[in-house]
Amino acid sequence: MRRVAVTGIGVITPLGNDVEAFFASLTRGCSGIARLTGPTAKRRGVDWCEPARTHIGGAVAFDPTLHFSGPKLRMLDRVSQFALVAAEQAVRAAGIVRDDVDRERSGVFLGTGMGGAETTDDGYYTLYAKRTERVKPYSVLMAMTNAAASWIGIEYGLAGPNLTFSTACSSSAVAIGEAAQRIRNGEVDLMLAGGSEAPLSFGTLVAWDALKTLATEDPSDPAASCKPFSKDRTGLVLAEGAAVVVLEEWERARARGAHIHAEFAGYGLCTDGAHITRPTVEGQSAAMRRALAAAALQPQDIGYINAHGTATLANDAVETAAMKQVFGSHAPHVPVSSTKSMHGHLLGAAGAIEFAAAVLAMERRILPPTINLRLADPECDLDYVPGRARSGVAPLAVMSNSFAFGGTNAVLIARNADGG
Amino acid sequence: MTTLQTLHRILKKNFDLEPAALPPEARLGDLQIDSLAVIDVLFEVEDEFKVTVPSEPAAQASLRTVGDLVAYIDRLVAEQRLVGDEGAPA
Repeated sequence: MRRVAVTGIGVITPLGNDVEAFFASLTRGCSGIARLTGPTAKRRGVDWCEPARTHIGGAVAFDPTLHFSGPKLRMLDRVSQFALVAAEQAVRAAGIVRDDVDRERSGVFLGTGMGGAETTDDGYYTLYAKRTERVKPYSVLMAMTNAAASWIGIEYGLAGPNLTFSTACSSSAVAIGEAAQRIRNGEVDLMLAGGSEAPLSFGTLVAWDALKTLATEDPSDPAASCKPFSKDRTGLVLAEGAAVVVLEEWERARARGAHIHAEFAGYGLCTDGAHITRPTVEGQSAAMRRALAAAALQPQDIGYINAHGTATLANDAVETAAMKQVFGSHAPHVPVSSTKSMHGHLLGAAGAIEFAAAVLAMERRILPPTINLRLADPECDLDYVPGRARSGVAPLAVMSNSFAFGGTNAVLIARNADGG
Repeated sequence: MTTLQTLHRILKKNFDLEPAALPPEARLGDLQIDSLAVIDVLFEVEDEFKVTVPSEPAAQASLRTVGDLVAYIDRLVAEQRLVGDEGAPA
């Protein structure tokens, strides 16, 4: 089995639009969550903050005209814009030169839960609110779930597999895991893998709100509304953004002298097969065990877990129980944090952004905290790195958990590149 | 405002193309306006010229230059104004 290197990372997030800004915000415990006002709320000419119950989200400060122009911009939904810019950052950081890429053996695997949701919303607005059938000619091309992955493939001329995974909140963890598998078994040598999501449109937000899974706005500080593992948690906070990593066959990356952030070590995938929303301890723990087995690592080798940690009542208690089941007596000694407390829940992009956070934490030896964790919950009794980042650590390996509506559980493990 | 001037305004707004780059003989392909983008332009033409662009893919696919586009718009405007006049109450 071949080894896989992580050689480039690109991010567009509510905490900053490059790796440095993102990681600095994470380790300072900053929140990217706020009341949705300004361009995000007004983009469609609807001031929807008033009628909606939920006014908070993790919005990205992003001006598409700085990155795209002309006919192309008019064909890109926000979700594809994020994906293309994140991919560009990752490719540039990896130092990949187009001429050196064997395009037949390179591909794109991307995850997204909702694809071009803004375009869909916009089309419905035209049809049902403006009462005209003049839906934009590019609507299908912008809204289709595989648009973002396709545009990346077109941008870099990659002729290997180009697949879009849609497993709700684990979509991009699945995309990265599946991409690494293809490299491991020799089908491809280089993959751009990650996820993108742009769900902060009125219709999408109201639909999520109707499900009663969104957090209640914190009355004293909207930025502190997402409270993973805290007794007073009330739900998740929707956010937008993208993350793309460059995965490369290890020897190829070494031969070209690439900077290797980490070794992709293991991927665990399983499905609850039980309920459309309710998670199971068995499913989550099985995914963690499979990832450990795939990485040939023991629980005590894991020096940090980036939890799924949505801040819903159900997830955080179940995930804690699952981690205890897998890590046993070692569980209290593994630092776990939910960075969703800061960047919110990026749905189909969440797994990729959190894998990026975990890899950077391992490489830079500083663990991002879980913020807004002030009230202990007896059902959540692990070391969640509350409040402040933790330095003076040297993880041999890190784990990133992603679970999902629909029940597809995906766990990724990365290993320190210096560890051999 | 002439048809060409209105078209210039659409192409500036949607494609960031300067009027100076859009003489009648300019080829749409050279301006990155492919067949899909032509559909997008015609969508705006409907608004600007108050016409309905019919579904005639062959005619639209044969538009090669800015001048072709202007002629096509002028034809639609002429045809539909005629229909409108005929249908108008006396």
